[in-house]
Amino acid sequence: MWQVLIVEDDPLMRDFFAASIARRSELALAACASTVAEAKAWLDQPEHVVDVLLVDLGLPDGSGLEVIRHAVTLHPGCEPLVISMFGDEENVLASIEAGALGYLHKDSTPDDVAHTILEMKAGASPISPMIARRVLSQFRLMNDRAAAALPQVAPAEPVVSGAPRAELSQREQEVLELISRGYSYAEIARLRAVSVHTVQTHIKNLYRKLAVRSRSEAVFEATQLGLLARPGR
Amino acid sequence: MRVSVARLAGATGLRNWIFGLWLIALLAPVAAWAGHPRQLTQVQALVMPDGKPAFAESLQLPYHWDRRNPGQRGFAEFEIPFEMHDPLDRPLAVYVPRLGNAYEIWFNGTLLQKNGDMAEFNGADFAKVPRYLVVPTSLLQQRNLFHIKVRADVGRRGGLSPLFVGPEAKVHPRYVGDYRLRSTGTLVVVVVSLLVGLVALSIWATQRDPTFPGGADGRDALYLNAGLAEICWTISVANAIWDHPPLDWPWWGVLTAGALAAWVGSMTLFCMDVGQWRGRAWARWLHRWVVLEVVATMIAAWWALEAGMPLALTVSYAVMGLTALVFSLAFVIAAFRSASFPQRAVAVALVLNTLVGLRDIYAFRLSQDLAGTTYLRYSSVLFGLVLGYIVVTRFRAVAAQAQELMATLAGRVAQKESELAQSYQKLEQLASERARAQERARVLRDMHDGVGAHISSAIRQLESGRSSQAEVLQTLRDSLDQLKLSIDAMNLPQGDITALLANLRYRLEPRFAASDIELQWDVDVMEPVARLDSQGMRHLQFMLFEALSNVLQHAEATVLRIEASATDGGAVLRIVDNGRGFDVTAPPRKGLASQRERASAMGASVQIASQPGRTVVEIRIG
Repeated sequence: MWQVLIVEDDPLMRDFFAASIARRSELALAACASTVAEAKAWLDQPEHVVDVLLVDLGLPDGSGLEVIRHAVTLHPGCEPLVISMFGDEENVLASIEAGALGYLHKDSTPDDVAHTILEMKAGASPISPMIARRVLSQFRLMNDRAAAALPQVAPAEPVVSGAPRAELSQREQEVLELISRGYSYAEIARLRAVSVHTVQTHIKNLYRKLAVRSRSEAVFEATQLGLLARPGR
Repeated sequence: MRVSVARLAGATGLRNWIFGLWLIALLAPVAAWAGHPRQLTQVQALVMPDGKPAFAESLQLPYHWDRRNPGQRGFAEFEIPFEMHDPLDRPLAVYVPRLGNAYEIWFNGTLLQKNGDMAEFNGADFAKVPRYLVVPTSLLQQRNLFHIKVRADVGRRGGLSPLFVGPEAKVHPRYVGDYRLRSTGTLVVVVVSLLVGLVALSIWATQRDPTFPGGADGRDALYLNAGLAEICWTISVANAIWDHPPLDWPWWGVLTAGALAAWVGSMTLFCMDVGQWRGRAWARWLHRWVVLEVVATMIAAWWALEAGMPLALTVSYAVMGLTALVFSLAFVIAAFRSASFPQRAVAVALVLNTLVGLRDIYAFRLSQDLAGTTYLRYSSVLFGLVLGYIVVTRFRAVAAQAQELMATLAGRVAQKESELAQSYQKLEQLASERARAQERARVLRDMHDGVGAHISSAIRQLESGRSSQAEVLQTLRDSLDQLKLSIDAMNLPQGDITALLANLRYRLEPRFAASDIELQWDVDVMEPVARLDSQGMRHLQFMLFEALSNVLQHAEATVLRIEASATDGGAVLRIVDNGRGFDVTAPPRKGLASQRERASAMGASVQIASQPGRTVVEIRIG
């Protein structure tokens, strides 16, 4: 049974998600919180167990991104899902970079909500064509920048390569391109002669890489700015 | 005769004082004589004018050949006996300020020194340099005799000056002093004049100012006149130390006289330029008069040197001197009325040079003195200094002007730049205002046609009480979908139809799944269509949404096919369903009317063909 923590300030929505969870026996409601502080306090208790975090971004005392970061730091097994009104690029990408593995629309049906949570626990993450396009271009941009910056920042190299390198594999890149052109997972699986599950795993890995990439990039940039001491110096 | 020489010496001493400090360096040895050496003036002469009988006479030196034998050439021999006052065991120093034009000096029957060809007239002139020699003790006796022979050409200041004899310590300083004044000093003046002249001429030749009112070619005649004057002066002064001039006598004499006159004339014109008298009515006449004087002087020189009429040259010089004197007076009066410093400086130089020039005319053309020096050569340097001053001040003025011009120019450029920046800013502001207005119009239209329309129909559905909850829910979901598409449209790359279709599919997929419609996806990868801007993208998105909504709500289809392929410079999109179809000729529904309107707004066409089991909506772009 997956323990679910809901962080949402709108009581109506909170009740809706709680009800959605209650419909499935695989899911259990661990707790509900309506502010960042409340959620953090709950997460700080070591005896609390959480497998899935449903979190709204616009909370009264701060951003849901804070809760996501807090959760993945303290509970490595926790998989966050962002509750988004529109599933628009900026918010979704920011959430993924903070550690979220997917997102839910506020107008989803109760079945959809439970389905998405279980899919994610089974290894699938949703991704829209526009986000796929954006991720592709961001990775390309980062590669270009790294290539341009590499010669003069050779000493900083261990910092970046010490962390898991966030590079796209050939297969991941192909999957992303097909998604950005509108193909469904099933169609992609057929085109590439793999299982749908493999495609879904690619997406989830991609999300993890995005989070890692954003963290290592922050370290890289901090080192560049002299905010962090370079190891071995 | 003695009286006049003494008076002349006095006058010379007075003028020495005037010449200025720089001359003192040259004159210092003269003043610092350690006692006076003995001067020998009593001679027995044998004069042999060319083509006339010789005659002997006893006389006093100096012997000025041209004064005593005007217009003649010939030979003279002088015997000068003298007794030694000093001990015989010391060598005797002899200094002769001037002798020639060619000469031989014999002492007690021995030839001591000889210069020039005694037989050939009009050759080199050796009278220009003072002569110094030392008689060895072996030749000295208690009673001695100098025997000096000279050859004299017409009008060339030949003859013999008094001799100075005595111990070296007394005679040599006097020789050195005269040598400096006559030869070294002259050489300095020649070099300075040549330099100043060349500089002035090159300024004249290279500096052109089209705005200059004087010359038509924009050159300043002031520099030309100054340059000519200095070059003429160089020739005239160089003559005084040049043993071997490039022309034979008397032609060299004619040339140097002409150069002297040209110097005076050019200097006069230079002064007129400084005083800015060029515009005066009499200026042209003075100009002509000056040219006439140069020509007249050369003729008079020829007359004096070749035809033996020295008075002609004297008169010519006198007329020139008088002209200069009158001009100087006028110039000086004008100068001290004006505030121009250069003009005053020129006036001072002019007065000084005129006075010195008159003194030189007297000393050279009238007096019997043979060994004298013209002082004009030294006083003339003042003109060079004044010219230098004028050049410097003019260039300084021009530089200041240029600097001011640069400053003005820089100021104007800065002003233009700021104006440009301002107008650019204004343009940018206008552009951003227009973009904002367009964006506002787009959002308003989206709200009106999309969310607004759906919400108002939801309200109508609820108010009528006839619609089911499912219908109202559908309307609201449509509304939210429209809103999501609106937001997505902001991020769609312009002209990228593939991305637009992919996004639309992603957004509507759950509804196709819910309606059990199988979606067939046949979309080529297409290059972005250049003519499709963000407005066009939004229109296209809206049209596709309407078409798909119609299929979902009305068609009762089981298969929906979306096709897209590139055409030449555009694209064609087809939405095909296998629903029940509708009558395309019937009055168009509201959604369809809106479709056509949007298609025409984005320059696309919509074709709808429908029959039961197959309805095709075709949108053709480009």
